[in-house]
Amino acid sequence: MATTLLLLTIAIPWVGGLIVWLVGNKHASLQHRIAVAFALLAGGAGVALIPYSSSQIVVNLPLGSVFGDFTFVADGLGVFLTVVATVIGSLAVIFSVDYMHGEDQLGRYYAMVLFFIGAMSGLVLTSNMLLVFFFWEITALCSYALISFHNDDPKAVAGGIKALIITQIGGVGLLAGALLLFAVTGSMDFNALIANPALMPAKWLGIMAFGFLIAAAAKSAQFPFQTWLPDAMEAPTPISALIHAATMVNAGVYLMARFYPAFKDVPGWTTAVLLVGMITALMAAIMALVSNDLKRVLAYSTVSQLGYMFYAIGAGGIYASQFHLFSHSIFKALLFLGAGAVIHSVGTRDMRQMGGLGKQMPLVRAVFIIGGLALAGIPILNGFWSKEMVLEAGLAHAPIWTYIVMLVGAGITALYTFRCIWMVFYGQPQSEKHVHDAGPAMKVALIPLAFATLTSWLLAGSFGKLLGPETLPSHGIEISSLGEVIHEVLSLPTLIALIVIALGLAAWWWRGKLTGLSNALKGIGKAAADSFGFEAINRGIVKGTQSAAEALRATQTGLLNWNIFGIIAGLIIVLAVVIFGG
Amino acid sequence: MNANTAFTLVIGLPLVGTPIIYLVGRLWARQNGQSNAANPARWLALLVLLATGVFTYFAVVSATADNTGISLNFGKLALTMDGLGLFLAVTVLALGILVTLFSAPYMQAEVGEEKFYALLTAMIGAIIGLGCATDLFNLWLWFEAMAVTSYFLVAFYHDQKGSLEAGWKYLVQSATGSTLVMLGIALAFAATGSLSFDQLRQAAASADPLLLAAGALFVVGFGVKTALVPLHTWLPDAHSQAPSGISAMLSGIVIEAGLIAMLRALGILYATSQVWGYLLLGFGALNLLVGNLMALRQTQVKRLLAYSSLSHVGYMLIGFGMAFAFAMPNGAIGGFFHLFNHALMKGLAFLAAGALLYALYIAKGHHGPLVLDDLNGASKRYPLTAFCFSLAVLALGGLPPLAGFMSKWQIFVSGFETGNTVAIILVIFAALNSVLSLGYYAPMVNRLYRGQPSQKVQDGKKIPPLLAVPMVILALAIVLFGFWPSLLTNLTSRAALGLFMLMGG
Repeated sequence: MATTLLLLTIAIPWVGGLIVWLVGNKHASLQHRIAVAFALLAGGAGVALIPYSSSQIVVNLPLGSVFGDFTFVADGLGVFLTVVATVIGSLAVIFSVDYMHGEDQLGRYYAMVLFFIGAMSGLVLTSNMLLVFFFWEITALCSYALISFHNDDPKAVAGGIKALIITQIGGVGLLAGALLLFAVTGSMDFNALIANPALMPAKWLGIMAFGFLIAAAAKSAQFPFQTWLPDAMEAPTPISALIHAATMVNAGVYLMARFYPAFKDVPGWTTAVLLVGMITALMAAIMALVSNDLKRVLAYSTVSQLGYMFYAIGAGGIYASQFHLFSHSIFKALLFLGAGAVIHSVGTRDMRQMGGLGKQMPLVRAVFIIGGLALAGIPILNGFWSKEMVLEAGLAHAPIWTYIVMLVGAGITALYTFRCIWMVFYGQPQSEKHVHDAGPAMKVALIPLAFATLTSWLLAGSFGKLLGPETLPSHGIEISSLGEVIHEVLSLPTLIALIVIALGLAAWWWRGKLTGLSNALKGIGKAAADSFGFEAINRGIVKGTQSAAEALRATQTGLLNWNIFGIIAGLIIVLAVVIFGG
Repeated sequence: MNANTAFTLVIGLPLVGTPIIYLVGRLWARQNGQSNAANPARWLALLVLLATGVFTYFAVVSATADNTGISLNFGKLALTMDGLGLFLAVTVLALGILVTLFSAPYMQAEVGEEKFYALLTAMIGAIIGLGCATDLFNLWLWFEAMAVTSYFLVAFYHDQKGSLEAGWKYLVQSATGSTLVMLGIALAFAATGSLSFDQLRQAAASADPLLLAAGALFVVGFGVKTALVPLHTWLPDAHSQAPSGISAMLSGIVIEAGLIAMLRALGILYATSQVWGYLLLGFGALNLLVGNLMALRQTQVKRLLAYSSLSHVGYMLIGFGMAFAFAMPNGAIGGFFHLFNHALMKGLAFLAAGALLYALYIAKGHHGPLVLDDLNGASKRYPLTAFCFSLAVLALGGLPPLAGFMSKWQIFVSGFETGNTVAIILVIFAALNSVLSLGYYAPMVNRLYRGQPSQKVQDGKKIPPLLAVPMVILALAIVLFGFWPSLLTNLTSRAALGLFMLMGG
């Protein structure tokens, strides 16, 4: 049964994608319905898989030679992320029915979304390193295709290609690690390594660990690869919700969490993960604070919260990181879909042209506030519990100065969240636009997410059991009841954190009185707007490559004499190499 | 059917068929002048190739279980179809049959169509023979036959200056290469007194300076045809000016046949020096970088694809370099796997570009190059062609679940298996080049799926259904091998075994 369900979580979306594509764009309403049906079925398969979680291999397709055995395991980590991918995926697809209504080329859209959902399930459920890379690359392909969905918009195309190139460069780190695993151990199965890190000599294990960190950082838009995610906001908003908040960007966190037992003793690795998370969390929070594009604020917020998850892993808090991933997927998807409703209605992403929308969009305002409270870490929403767990893990196992930085980050998080909600839904309307509340399909997607944001923390105990030693023998996750979580969170550090968060909220409320401070920090604001110099680095690399290519064109002279000279020169060089090297 | 008979037919059919195809076609053309009906030369060519394919199958099936292959002796002329020969025959026939099918409507309006099919069949026959050569003279002979037929095919549009120039440069440079190969053969004969592969290998046990010089001459001489950088300068012109079916053949199998000839020649000299493998690796790295950087700046689609062929030869060279320098079987198996996949992927890319070229230019009587701007919005009018082109190009970029990913994976594995730091750095370099290549592949896909079609697309003619059949077959194959790479392991590992036996076991 587990075998069937596992394969269905991949097969159902893929078959659905194929069918939607074949149905053709002339039957748009049929395409919408088929997409929703298959997405819901996939969600069902994912949820149905939960009781069957175990650490046993349930699918095994031996392919031999360098491809290894294609194995799949339905353990807690994989099942939980599959559920996130398929369930939030189905909500995003339902939302798309309204959001993408009347759009052209829906076949391509839905096919890529469903292809992505299946690939995400495959990524987290497989235990073959080649397949991890295989599905990793497929998610990158789908992400690129969906970001640049509106191919006539040069910004969208540029954003898609930027995302593709940056995540692919990081992917080389994953490739190197995977190849090392096979070359050294002779097998593609990584569970053997996770159970026994001594399988690989220290030097190779270190290269693998840092290679994976680079890949994860690029995929999750962490420092120094954070520049692609804000530009990816050119994608249709349901895509931003699904791929760039709830699922694909989590792949990096997943990779780190999965391989933590193997890499934790590599010298410097946990510190590196800790620092990557911390720097990103703070940097992205500041960038969110100065941005005026609604989706960019949410994008930077995602990057920042992923930084919290990396930080937790670096501090050894695997449960905390995954619990925060769980909460974040839900409330960030909620925020993005809510933002999508706003953008779809108002026609712009610039918050300076919004304001006072709350009156005309009461439902959207309500759910957005719920999501925002969770993001800021206000009790008793799911974000509060998980963020406090992350901070507790940091306090227990990370240097105190990093903990203070994360605390400050939490305050800034509250500040930019409040700013965002205020600029969109409160205050004076900045333009005379007529807006309408969310459509029916949008509501169907938003309401369950809001409900989940309020209640998902109640599952903390079951969540812990799912990730416990029965399915993940090497990860040492001992939490098994809600009471333990509540007990851990209700403590003095949490009180201090809440005070910091309250300060963040207060800073916005009394922003009029703090103009002196905000003027003093304007320099940082400007640096933040250009991603602290990283955009300049990106531009430099692109320009350098194009210049090198342009310069190389001189070698293609078009003159036969020079071509023959090239052959003779080649001969002389080869002869020299053979004589002196042979 | 007896294996020897089948093998004789495999070698003989295309060669015997060539003059018959030409005569039938010519006589028909003289009778029917300006008629729009199909010249039977094309169907005859297709028939000959299909028959050759069938006999190849029989030859393989009835061959003995040991790995020495099927041998034939025509007097002093000895031909052996070992794993390597079989691999080359399968690849060239697969691509050749599809290209012939594609060319049926594509070359419809051309004068001298019968020459096209005759030359194509001859070229395929020459390549099959090249794979089965057992001595240096035969290797050179079949290689030259392939080269001569390809000169005419490149310059087929002899009334266009661009084609003539491309064909002329190709001819002169290729002839230079062939001369160098002849010099190398002379030196090898001088050093060992024999031209047969087996005898040469036994005699070439140590670093004789004559043999080292011969090896260098082989590398550069065959390297012109394989398009090693800096010997590659003929390639962008030739591959972009040729008729699109021929571009597919050139990029897909002709330059690779040159590579296989080089590998044969270096294989017998394997024991003379360590340097051959390092040369292959060095050229591989150079080809990867130069091919990708040059492709980045191209605005003509076929020129872009031609430069991308340079970089894919780079991957093959890295694979074979790992096999030569570090005795890695996966390097050779991966190299052959990538060779086959590249024939499929680049073949599909050129055929799809050709289909668009046909619809936007040729069918309207123009003869211009297909530029990137012409691709804008092509998916609106030509959805199948646009999809096939996107699939081919993303496969070339190494994205799963397509075939290119799996063959690159195998080559990369071989590099890491060596445990050698330089080899590992080279693999990382190759992987980064894969990412770089997406920088020019991905924007083409984006262009195809724009909502606003270009003017050329709006004014374009229909694409004949017969052009779609080979494209769909190739697309399905690319997806199939992407999901199930082990399907080809039998073929590629036999080829690798053939190569290793040549190197001395």
